[in-house]
Amino acid sequence: MIEYRQVSKSYNKGAIKAVSDLTLTVPPGEIFGFLGPNGAGKTTTLKMTVGLLRPDAGTIQVDGRDITREPLACKAVTSYVPDTPAVYDRLTGLEYLNFIGDVYGVARQDRLERIDKWLQIFDLASAVGNSIQSYSQGMKQKIVLIAALLPAPRVLILDEPMVGLDARAAHHMKEMMREHCDRGGTLFFSTHIMEVAERLCDRIGIIHKGRLIACGTMEELRALDRREQTLENIFLELTDR
Amino acid sequence: MSRLSVLVRTALRVNFGWSLLTSGQLLRHKRDWWLVPLILLGVVGLVPTMIYYIKLIKFLYDSLVLVGQTAAILTMGVLLGQFLILVFGLYYIIAAFYFSRDLALLIPLPLTPTQVMLSKFTVILVNEYLTIAPLVLPILIVYGLLSRKGLVYWMGAVLVYLLLPVIPLAIGGLLVFGMMRVINLSRKKDALIIIGSLILIAAAIGFQFWFGQRATGNEVDPNALVRFLSDPNGLVQRVGASFPPSIWATKALAYGLGASGLANTALFSMVSLVLFLGLLIASKKLFYEGLIGLSETSTAKRILSREQIERGVSSGRRPVRAIFLRELRLMNRTPIFLLNGVLAVVLIPALFLIMAKAGSQPEGLGRLLSLVQSGNPTVAILAAALFMAVCGGLNGTASSTYSREGAQFWISKVIPVSPTDQAKGKFLHSYAVVVLGLAASTAVLAFVFQMKASLLLAALVLAAPAGVVMTAVGMMIDLARPLLTWINPQKAIKQNLNVLLAFFADLGMIFGLFLLTRILRRLGLAGVAQIAALTFILLVMAGLSFSLLLRFAEKRLPQIE
Repeated sequence: MIEYRQVSKSYNKGAIKAVSDLTLTVPPGEIFGFLGPNGAGKTTTLKMTVGLLRPDAGTIQVDGRDITREPLACKAVTSYVPDTPAVYDRLTGLEYLNFIGDVYGVARQDRLERIDKWLQIFDLASAVGNSIQSYSQGMKQKIVLIAALLPAPRVLILDEPMVGLDARAAHHMKEMMREHCDRGGTLFFSTHIMEVAERLCDRIGIIHKGRLIACGTMEELRALDRREQTLENIFLELTDR
Repeated sequence: MSRLSVLVRTALRVNFGWSLLTSGQLLRHKRDWWLVPLILLGVVGLVPTMIYYIKLIKFLYDSLVLVGQTAAILTMGVLLGQFLILVFGLYYIIAAFYFSRDLALLIPLPLTPTQVMLSKFTVILVNEYLTIAPLVLPILIVYGLLSRKGLVYWMGAVLVYLLLPVIPLAIGGLLVFGMMRVINLSRKKDALIIIGSLILIAAAIGFQFWFGQRATGNEVDPNALVRFLSDPNGLVQRVGASFPPSIWATKALAYGLGASGLANTALFSMVSLVLFLGLLIASKKLFYEGLIGLSETSTAKRILSREQIERGVSSGRRPVRAIFLRELRLMNRTPIFLLNGVLAVVLIPALFLIMAKAGSQPEGLGRLLSLVQSGNPTVAILAAALFMAVCGGLNGTASSTYSREGAQFWISKVIPVSPTDQAKGKFLHSYAVVVLGLAASTAVLAFVFQMKASLLLAALVLAAPAGVVMTAVGMMIDLARPLLTWINPQKAIKQNLNVLLAFFADLGMIFGLFLLTRILRRLGLAGVAQIAALTFILLVMAGLSFSLLLRFAEKRLPQIE
């Protein structure tokens, strides 16, 4: 579970309000999609959730623990995939996975099973012995995803996870997201792809200029404006105000 | 505005404007105020060093007045500057020409290879002016003032200073073009870049010694000695023999508007110009040939079997070990980091080895050291410990440990490893590099200078905790203000202001210990007692600095955004 209580964050000594008074709960077993125009505050929210940024005000709890007060306990149950797969390109894929396994303390047998499973699913087994430097952008995205899945986290935070993935990998990705939440995990992700959000998410939040302007299931969002039936139209209508 | 000038201005702004202004914004935040004592420590180290350096120049000048060969001091300055640029400039050239991340943006633009190369060359040139300033400018200024030179000298000095890096950089650039062209054809590019760079540096140093020896001949020939003393330029010729442009620059400055002065000014300028033009012409043909495709890994794909993956998978939670291994692998596999960090610690010992092989100065130094060893072993131990600490501790590994992570720093922020465990892993890696430097310098002291084992051991006992302090201080400085937005890996380590700050802080510490030693001597303490007291103090400092590092990491790492 992730809980945001009156979270605010600004840059340049308050000149730019990135996130304003965000209050939101993402319960276990839910896929929560976060939509918003560029610069709306999506990435800032996700980064605060994993400890990359510190909120100016408010609290964020991950699995009942405060990310500012108990960062290690929160990080131990969370995995994060950033919007650009900046990863140690001088390591081999397997060395990177081992690094993640070592710092999360994944048992050897679990490590073997999960690495084997995800390498097969994401079709990366033949490249895992090579330096990440030799990977394409999509392959880098896949190795970051596999590393995020390796500790079997209870909370998954994904920033634009579909970017760079081919159609097959994107399909497997969506299946993985559903399975993760069916097992009781929490998934919070940002996307620009309306179709993905519409079909995959249990609930959707729309953030605009740092404020959460709409939040609910697809039906609840449709009810906001009876003329608009697709998520894309609802999004355009809401963010145009 | 032409494309070239836009490109050069942008390159200069990216390298000096933003980096020095944004990362150099010291003390902007309240939290940076703790840096004040470190900066003071740096000033404490720098100011006396410069004062002693200027005093040394003045002493040399006064001594040379007696034999009427004061101009030799200019040769020393120019030679020192050009030698440093030739050796260390090779790193800069390789990093800027071939490893800047902005090259991927520049190559597709409608720019010629020569324009791109020129923008990079300008950045290196400006960097070199700043790098050699503290070494060369005092010599030019002290000579000018003591010789009561007029306007012509000062104008000539500006010209010589501006042209000084051109010849060594152009030579370095041409060598690197050739090397990278060949390396780009091969499969093991990273390994070859490291080996090739080392060969180039060794060749540059070796050639200078060989040239110097060949030109100066037998030292003990009495006729040669008489000729050398009676010729007003004897010493200039002798000192500058290893790199003749330094002789031309000296004569250009010393003889001003006289025939010899003008001729040598013309010679120095023309050779600089010709080599620079040679570099421009070569860049047209060779620069992109060596650059495009360099990042491709053409090694055969290594497909791991299920058994190999099983064998390769580790187990358990070992965060400190994981961080240590990550640091080790990333440093050793990134050529620029390896050359500037790890190999820098063996460079000074290697220089001594090369000089010893060439039969140069170390023999004299060796004789001096053997005299000191028998006469005053305490001084020998302190000198050896200083040499070890300088070789091992004065490198940029610790003071760039957080900066080197660059865009990948997010990983360190999101993994469930405490800042103290991360600092421990990084400390172990940085200290391993110090140990390498200690080992290399110990080997030189033992085999080149024939130092006794007991004295070496005593020196090691002093240098090892000094290395701990230097490592911890360097890491704290980098942790305080990590430079994570670099596009050229050279900026993360060699051009990182943190490395310079740590260097000053280390100098400050060494100076403090020097003063302390003098106090201990004045107190009349026996040699053994002096060494024991220093060891105790260094051990306490090592323990304190390490514990301070861990506490600071716990506080600072979560603040970095």
